[in-house]
Amino acid sequence: MSTDGTAPRDRLRRIEAVTDSALGHLAVEELLVELLDRVRELLEVDTAAVLLLDPSTQYLVATAARGVEEEVRAGVRIPLGKGFAGRIAARKQPVFLEQVDHSNVLNPILREKGIRSLLGVPLISGGEVLGVLHIGSLTTRIFTAEDTELLQLAAERVAHATQARQFQISRAAAGALQRSLLPAGLPSVPGIEFASRYVPGGGGEVGGDWYDVFDLPSGRICVVVGDVVGRGLAAAATMARLRAVLRAYALQTDDPADLLQRLDVHIRHFERGVMATVLCAVMEPFHDHLVVSSAGHPPPVATNPDGPSEVVDLPADLPMGVDPARPRRATTVSLPPGHGLFLYTDGLIERRGVSLDVGLRQLCTVLRPGPADAVCGKVMFELLGGEQAADDVAILMLSRLVTRGTEPLVLQHPADPAALRQIRHAVRQWLADVGVARGPAEEVVVAVGEAASNVVEHAYGPSGGTVSVRLVAEPSAIVAVVRDHGRWRSPRGSNRGRGTVLMRGLVDEVKVEHLADGTRVTLQKVLPVTEVG
Amino acid sequence: MNDASVDVERTGSHAVRIVLDGEIDLANVGTVEAQLLEAISNQLVDVTVDLTGVSYIDSAGLRVLFLLGARLETLQIGFHLVVPPDSAVRKVVDLSGIAAIASVEDAPRPA
Repeated sequence: MSTDGTAPRDRLRRIEAVTDSALGHLAVEELLVELLDRVRELLEVDTAAVLLLDPSTQYLVATAARGVEEEVRAGVRIPLGKGFAGRIAARKQPVFLEQVDHSNVLNPILREKGIRSLLGVPLISGGEVLGVLHIGSLTTRIFTAEDTELLQLAAERVAHATQARQFQISRAAAGALQRSLLPAGLPSVPGIEFASRYVPGGGGEVGGDWYDVFDLPSGRICVVVGDVVGRGLAAAATMARLRAVLRAYALQTDDPADLLQRLDVHIRHFERGVMATVLCAVMEPFHDHLVVSSAGHPPPVATNPDGPSEVVDLPADLPMGVDPARPRRATTVSLPPGHGLFLYTDGLIERRGVSLDVGLRQLCTVLRPGPADAVCGKVMFELLGGEQAADDVAILMLSRLVTRGTEPLVLQHPADPAALRQIRHAVRQWLADVGVARGPAEEVVVAVGEAASNVVEHAYGPSGGTVSVRLVAEPSAIVAVVRDHGRWRSPRGSNRGRGTVLMRGLVDEVKVEHLADGTRVTLQKVLPVTEVG
Repeated sequence: MNDASVDVERTGSHAVRIVLDGEIDLANVGTVEAQLLEAISNQLVDVTVDLTGVSYIDSAGLRVLFLLGARLETLQIGFHLVVPPDSAVRKVVDLSGIAAIASVEDAPRPA
């Protein structure tokens, strides 16, 4: 059979060579094409093709072909068990067709190409069928037992190379997905410091862990840590969907128990079979408290400046995906200035052969109040520095800063109506922190809100711009500056006039300056000396 | 989600009490306005808007109350605003001069 003088076994080595690092950059399809050329050469045939089982395991999909490239371009799909290729995969046995005809081949391309004889073998790895490798001849040919054996040897190598490459690619995709979804930067919230880390599990494999921090329409901050059961691309993709769904429901409710309940109902309906643990915390205005709900997630650890860190006593309701009819609970956790809350996924405290309590105790020992980023760095080093975690790990630290009430408040937001609420929220918080009594504080909030509202309404054209707010606590007064970089259009209606009357009535001094690069409104509220500091 | 809520209750055959809650600003004033005007029919003789639960209102929100007041004046329908004394909202309402077209009251009158 051999025409070029090399023995078939030598040519088989050329197939093994395909798994060499020189071809390591190829995608699955390109790798298979390279392999198929060598199979054609090995068995001196006209066509060679690989069909791989799709994720549903119901169809074989033409993935690479030589001599019958139309198969791949046309996206040929063969049901498992049907036709030539379908029978090979279903029986896990070679099939030889001496004469191709309508009764034994489903794929019209093979007939139209004028292929006379076909030999196909299953691609098997670890007892599982990955797909089918088949070769064809344009002249009638009797494939011998030796040909079949040779093709099976080639198929082993093709299966091995395909699976290795698919695994490698899915890992790279999962890694990219994880990286694209973890927040690039955590939101900046006056008075609160956030820091986080994510590391993949053993061998660099990512999983379904995630953390998220975002603000709600009410101006509250929502903090989430979750863990989808499973590994690799499938878990990472499920995580991506759950994260997006949770964010969507967060537009509708501020209650973390309600939020998790809705997510659970969603999983039950759209993601059957998915299991996940999630911890969701919503910070109350003024950040004094968090409302926390846990769906089977390990409890957070609270840090405080006066003593050891403690596991937060939190009832853990069922994980997501078990029974959405069970009620979920929310617990209020206090967060005074100087205190912090540490959230994590179980990979951090899980060690082979060691109980979770041991890891949790170690975490409490290591966790000390400090700058959030340094805390994260220390915990990762102390708990994971020695050995690689088997599972992936996500951690998130939030620290409530001790404000001395002397630092000015500096805010910048898009000049959009939605920003007004966030501005009021931050101004209220800051005024409380510097010790302004509620009555005058609320008057400052309205005056600043009014000035910011004017910027949103009048300063910019359709392309928009920003509104900046700066508050300074002086010994006996609060000074607020609201700034834009637009050109005010002339006011429409009587609204503007009313706004100015309001500001003048609420604070002691209102100064409006139209500058070359925008407008500056300065508001001053005189306070009795005892109320500041 | 809207940070303000508008609840309408009939307090008699020709009277309605509208309870506003939450924060009213430029972002949600359109919705509040639509809900308010929808609650008013020509058959009414008396409208009360209760601001007890309102924690923030500025000139954007006042504009709606002025608009409503002007309408009610034309239709010769009585207009009462309930605003608790000693609150920032009360100060804003007092400064606005809306008392010229509405009777500003400290607490709801018995129905």
